[in-house]
Formats: sequence, C-alpha cells, structure tokens
Amino acid sequence: MSSTASLETPTATASQLTQRRPGVGAVYGVELGKLVRQTKVRVISLVMIAAPWVFILLVLHQDRLPLETLYGRYLKTTGFATPMVVLVVAAQWLLPLIASFISGDMFSSDDNHGTYKTILTRSVARGSVFWGKVLAALSATVVLVLAIGASALLAGLVCVGGQDFISVGGTLVSPGAAFADVAVSWLSVLPGVLGFAALALCVSILTRNSVLGVVVPVVVGLVCQMYMFLNAWDTVRHLMLNWTMTAWRGLLDDPSYTEPLVRGVLVSIVYIALFVTVGYLVFRRRDVKEG
Amino acid sequence: MPKETTPRARPDHPVVSATGLTKRYGDLVAVDAIDLRVRAGDVYGLLGPNGAGKTTFMRMLFGLVRPDHGTIEIDGIPVQPVPVRALDGVAGFVETPRFYPYLSGRKNLELLAKLDGSGRSRINEVLEVVELSDRAGSKVREYSYGMVQRLGVAASLMREPRLLVLDEPTNGLDPAGIRDMRALIQRLADSGLTVLLSSHHMDEVDEMCTRVAIMRRGQLAFDGSMSELRGRAGRATRHLVTSDDATALTICHRTPGIVHAEREGARIVFDADDVAVERLSRELVAGGVGIRLLHAPTSALTTLFFRLTDIEAGADEEAA
Repeated sequence: MSSTASLETPTATASQLTQRRPGVGAVYGVELGKLVRQTKVRVISLVMIAAPWVFILLVLHQDRLPLETLYGRYLKTTGFATPMVVLVVAAQWLLPLIASFISGDMFSSDDNHGTYKTILTRSVARGSVFWGKVLAALSATVVLVLAIGASALLAGLVCVGGQDFISVGGTLVSPGAAFADVAVSWLSVLPGVLGFAALALCVSILTRNSVLGVVVPVVVGLVCQMYMFLNAWDTVRHLMLNWTMTAWRGLLDDPSYTEPLVRGVLVSIVYIALFVTVGYLVFRRRDVKEG
Repeated sequence: MPKETTPRARPDHPVVSATGLTKRYGDLVAVDAIDLRVRAGDVYGLLGPNGAGKTTFMRMLFGLVRPDHGTIEIDGIPVQPVPVRALDGVAGFVETPRFYPYLSGRKNLELLAKLDGSGRSRINEVLEVVELSDRAGSKVREYSYGMVQRLGVAASLMREPRLLVLDEPTNGLDPAGIRDMRALIQRLADSGLTVLLSSHHMDEVDEMCTRVAIMRRGQLAFDGSMSELRGRAGRATRHLVTSDDATALTICHRTPGIVHAEREGARIVFDADDVAVERLSRELVAGGVGIRLLHAPTSALTTLFFRLTDIEAGADEEAA
C-alpha cells in the first residue's frame, strides 16, 4: 500500500459531526441509487412497461377478444380500454408481484450481501436506515405501477386511438373524462399495492430471505384471490388487500359509489401500519451477527 | 434524530471502556463479563483463538450486537441504546469487510460517503492510500479478497476516524498483502490514531501493538502492556530429536527449567527459556545422548499465548 500518500489527522469537532449527520433522506437516496443500478430491476421494469404494448398489438392481430374480462370487448373500440384490461388482470397477481419484487429483498439483500455491518457502522441511525429503505421501496413500487399504467394508456391510445369510453355502468364517456377514469382507477389500487409492499418488507425483515420476501406476498395474494372466488363471508373478503384493488369499479359505475374505495383505503392503511410497525420493531432490536 | 451535544474525547475517559460486558447466544457465553480500557494513542491488540469472543466484542463495540449485561462506551458515550451517537469518529470493520458486489469500489465508497454525510472529497485520496485507484471502477464482485480488505480500510479512512477498529485485518492476505497492511496500520498509528485490532497471530500483535488483551472463551486471560506480556513470556516451546529419546526424556524431567516435557511422535516437546536449554544440552551430551535436532518453532510470546488460551493443557495456573 502506498507509503507516499498522506492522511491528515482528523480534526472534526463534535458539533461538526452532529451537523453533518445524515438521516432518512440520505438512506433514501442511497437505496434508490442501488435499486436503479440492479440489472434485474432494470430488466423486469422494462419488461413490465413493454408488456401492455405487446399485449394490445397481439390483440389487434387476432380475431377473438377477451370477452370474459371487464373491458375486454372494447379493446379494439377505444384505446382507453387497454389500461383498464391491464389493470383488471394485473390486480389479480401482477401488482402484488411487482410490490414484492421491489420490496421483498429491500432488507434481506443486505443480509445476503452481509452489508448491514457496513451501513450500520456509518453515521446514520438504525431508525433512519429503516425508514429510508421503507420509503425507497414504497416510492419505487408506486413509480413502477404508475409507469405500467401510463405505458398501457399510451399503448392503447397509439395503437387503437382516443375514442369515447364506456364506463362500468354502460355510459358513454368523452376522452377527457375517460382519461380521468383511467387515472383514478390506477391511483385507487396504490393503497392495496402498498399493502402488499409492506407485507413484502415485513417478510424480508423477519426471514432475512429475499426469495421468501418475494414469494410469500404473492402466495398470500393468490390465496386471497381464491377466497374471493368462494361464496364465503363478505366481511373477510372486504378485509383482503386484493379486494381493495377492485374498488375502482364503483367509481366507474353509474351512479358511482365510493364506499368500497374508502373501506379499501382504510384496510390498506391498517395493513401497511401493521406490517411496517412489526418490521420496525424487529429491525430496531435485531443483532447483526452475520456477514 | 436527537442531537449529540456531549463533548468528544474527554480526557478523563478512555477511548473505549467496557465494563462487565456480557453476551450470550443461547447456552454459549460468547463474551463473559469483560472489563477493558483502550486509551487514546494505544495500538491495542485483542488476541485470541477463533471463538474466543473477539468478534462478538467488536460487534458490541460497533452497536451491531446488544450486550446482555454490562456497558461499553466510546469517549464516555454509551454505545447503546443509540450507537450512532457513540460512533462519530470511529471506523473500521468486523470480519471481512462487505460491499455491494454489483457496484464498483468507487460507487460503494460514494454511497458510504452519503451515509456519513461527508467524505466524498476524500475518496480519491483513500483509494490512493490503499492502492486501489486503478481498480476503483471495477465491480466489487471482481475484486480479490485482499482488494476487498483494502477497500474496507479505504471505507474506514473516509470517516477521518480517531479510533480505528480492525478485525483480523490481515486474515486471508498473501505475505505481501500482510506486510503492506501491517505497514499501513503502523503508519496510521504513528499519525496519532487510536487503533484497536483483533488477531489470532501473536507475532502480528507483537509487531504492532503497545497494549494487548488476550481472550479465552469469552474472558480476558491477560490485559496489559506488551512489555508486561514479554516479561511473562520466558519460555518458548522447543522440539528435540535425539539418538535416545527415552533417556533424553528422563534428563528433561530432571533438568531445572524444563517444563511440560513429553514425547510427541518421534520428538520430545517441552517449554524452556534459553538458559534452561543450554543446561539441558550439556546434560544430554554428558548423558551420552546425541542431539539430532533442537529448535523453537514458535516464539516465547506465542508459547505464552497458547498457554494462556489453552485450558485443556492446564494453563490456568500459567495465567494466574
């Protein structure tokens, strides 16, 4: 090692150290930086964003339409149907998968790389590390979901056109109102998606295993989906995150109703708070023995 | 975040102060009621065999592991419950330094500088110090073990530490890497840094440290200056091969200053200082025993280390 390079004797004072101590924002920036530099995140994100284009192009080149899917019959009639069909399909399993994919190894990846001992011995408090990671996971999930929605809308408009839209209640809607309906519908699934993301974060912390962090929320989503197919208790059904992601249908009905959406948002908030709190308590107290 | 207002480096406090520090993992007591002080300017060696508790102690020092009992303070500030308050001015690594393998060495340092809130301007300087400037753009997954160790030192130096904590820093390095790492640590110590380093090599501690603690099964078997330790290290282990080992062993047993003599395969192993070895040589020759080989494979300090850390060999009385 170099014997010529010099190192100055440290002279920082306590107040200087205090003033420059970073917090949640620094961790948030670091985590986002790590996310966008991961090849798997880039590839999966591109595939997800490109998928609606492939989907609508394939539909336009075949005779049959997915009539059993809500808005499927209008795919060749108006471009606004594309993002709605994508939303109907994605809400069943794809959105939970996206949430898990982003959040499921947000904490466990540092376990796998043994890097907790690296970042927890710097100048950020453990609580800041936790909240920075949570915010990065949730915001990246939101951005990816909205990017897919925007891509689907753009694909529909470019490939089919911006014709009038038909609401769930059968009313003809102008392109301007249709755009608002699509936007509100995609925005309304975000609380449920974030609920799955919070579950993935919690599993990631509890198991320290990236595979489980991704798989468990998806399996939970599928089990809930199966329950929703059953003629079972509505009370339980309404407490499921999947259910909250279908609440937008009430907004597009004629007349519209908001009760499912409000209930869905509240249920999602409870789940998010529960999973994040459990994760926080475990993360704050855990010993870093590995790595 | 609570603001830290406690003055650093209070002269009435040692840099590191552990009192009754204890950590259990199930039934295993990894660190057992350790009292330890590291003073400013010390190059303090924490010595012990694998599993002695050195790494657990260092993890508690960094706040990575919570002690079950006792306290550990840095510059008079308790590490728990909020380690980040005590760790200002402290840097180092526990076991092998770890980085994000999909990022370059430089990018890893940039991320760490963000988490420090400073140090970005020093990245080139510290990369030069550890001679990684040429490979700073390569992904860490392409680094050799020694390069990762050096990147760990670079990441530590970025924090401009007053206390540098290194856990077996030469572990896994080739001879040239060991030489360079020791030279770097020595240079940092000469610049005024307080250094706490763990090792299981007595020669490494002997070469670099001013004070040493020897750990055995979670407890301190010795804590003092290197000169005190050297003063206790009179006897080195010797290996003896003769023309008549049975007679030679009898002579060993009756020669003053020869201890722990026993046959071990085709040789006799014993502990002795230089004076006792001279005496034994004369006795063997006088007894008609030919000396085919007589040498000391380890230093007296290493022998003492083995005695202090080897309970099965009945070393408790040696340590006392």
